[in-house]
Amino acid sequence: MAEELHTRKVLEPLGWILQLLTGLLLAILITFHFFETHLIAHDALAFENVIARLTDPAHKVMYGLLLASVSFHAFNGLRAILLDTEFGARNTKAINILIVLVILGAFIYGLGLLFTF
Amino acid sequence: MENKDKSNMGRDVIFRIKRFDGEKSYWSDFVVPAQKGMTVLEGLYYIKGTYDGSLSFRASCRMGICGSCAMKINDKPRLACETQILQLNSSKIKIEPLDNFRVLKDLITDFEGFFAKHEAVKPYLIRKDDNYAEPVELIQKPEELHAYYDFTLCIKCGACFSVCPAAATRDDYLGPAAMAAAYRFNIDTRDEGRDERMFMVCSDVGVWRCHFAAECSEVCPKNIEPAKAIQKLRFQAAVHMIKKALKRW
Amino acid sequence: MDLLKWFEVRGKSLFYISYSLHRITGLILVLYLVMHLSYLTSLRFGEEIYESFIATTVTPTFLIFDILLVLVGVYHGVNGLRLILHEFGLAYDVRRPILYLSYFLVLVLWLYASYKLYVFIVGV
Ligand code: SF4
Ligand code: FES
Repeated sequence: MAEELHTRKVLEPLGWILQLLTGLLLAILITFHFFETHLIAHDALAFENVIARLTDPAHKVMYGLLLASVSFHAFNGLRAILLDTEFGARNTKAINILIVLVILGAFIYGLGLLFTF
Repeated sequence: MENKDKSNMGRDVIFRIKRFDGEKSYWSDFVVPAQKGMTVLEGLYYIKGTYDGSLSFRASCRMGICGSCAMKINDKPRLACETQILQLNSSKIKIEPLDNFRVLKDLITDFEGFFAKHEAVKPYLIRKDDNYAEPVELIQKPEELHAYYDFTLCIKCGACFSVCPAAATRDDYLGPAAMAAAYRFNIDTRDEGRDERMFMVCSDVGVWRCHFAAECSEVCPKNIEPAKAIQKLRFQAAVHMIKKALKRW
Repeated sequence: MDLLKWFEVRGKSLFYISYSLHRITGLILVLYLVMHLSYLTSLRFGEEIYESFIATTVTPTFLIFDILLVLVGVYHGVNGLRLILHEFGLAYDVRRPILYLSYFLVLVLWLYASYKLYVFIVGV
């Protein structure tokens, strides 16, 4: 079972390290996001304010970062859960490909929103 | 006559044992007259000798060295020979075979796979200059010995594997004991076989399946902290693989 | 099903229970993320539609879900920070105090955030 495991699995350690790093980043970004939308201003969720944030360059960068790390962290976590099962062991490749597509999909979808405004 | 302390006198304890005869599983209850200091293993021998000769369990050394007698006692995996009946403080003791292993008969489980995984990580010194005709002394400092010494104490009892959630859902996962063994040899200064060992450790059935539930460290009867070994091993593995990939570029 | 073994906590320590909870909260958060991202599409349809979404979801009736969601998020976050620390091979020897501390932190942060949310939505 060991033969094909070694070489093309660089993605495993990268996935693991990125999972930890995005986790750290998310702890900060989500706390900030939550504060900004729920705890500071009462009308933070009003349409003009949301649009104003979306058009502000500093916010764009922040949202972009949040979007990238959350897409990765969420679906890479799901991947880890799936690969922990016998089902995952049998379909490792399919799951890896599918998850990469989902991560990209979520990211592109979000970017689309970011750039429309 | 003498003023005997009641707790020293012993009392009857019910052993509720999960049985399996190859087809069906069922529970059997036995009354064991427990004395102070009597172990669960002695209780099992008492049952086998007195009530039911067909009761099956593994044991050998009776002193916590061979690792044969791990079983689930009151929901926790423990060594039967190192668990005293009265210290469990219950009038009914529930005994089951270890989880995550296939049950062969009663409390006996199949350890073939568990040992094969141990073997797969090459738990022995690998050196380029092996010369058995004229062996040379391999020098090591006390600090270098202490770095890995604790991990050498594993008795392959399988308790850690039986509580591991990754092992529960993947039969091929190497498990805590095997990976602790891999780490033990990887950090041995006399060893030169890290590359060979990493082959298994870095694989799909290795370190990436661990998410630090850390229950292995909680149940290990030898306190060797397999969870700690795996965290350090995973870091090693990540560095190892990334370095390898960069080199190939 | 085998998967239920992840949540079989009888006889297990708090470490294992944390692992089970981390899995469950993680899955809930994935679902929430999908909802949250889809929700944002309403921004494209203009002010009316977006505001009507907000008007139904940012209400006292939804507060209970918000507060539960915050619990799930705070738990996953704090427990996750604990895991990151240990997975980098650090502070293993004090893992028990850190575990208890993390539960304490979850409670404090959750109560604080829930209180603020309550004030924000219901208004005192
Ligand atoms: S690591 Fe501990 S629990 Fe696991 S097999 Fe070795 S002695 Fe038993
Ligand atoms: S009989 Fe050898 S460890 Fe218990």
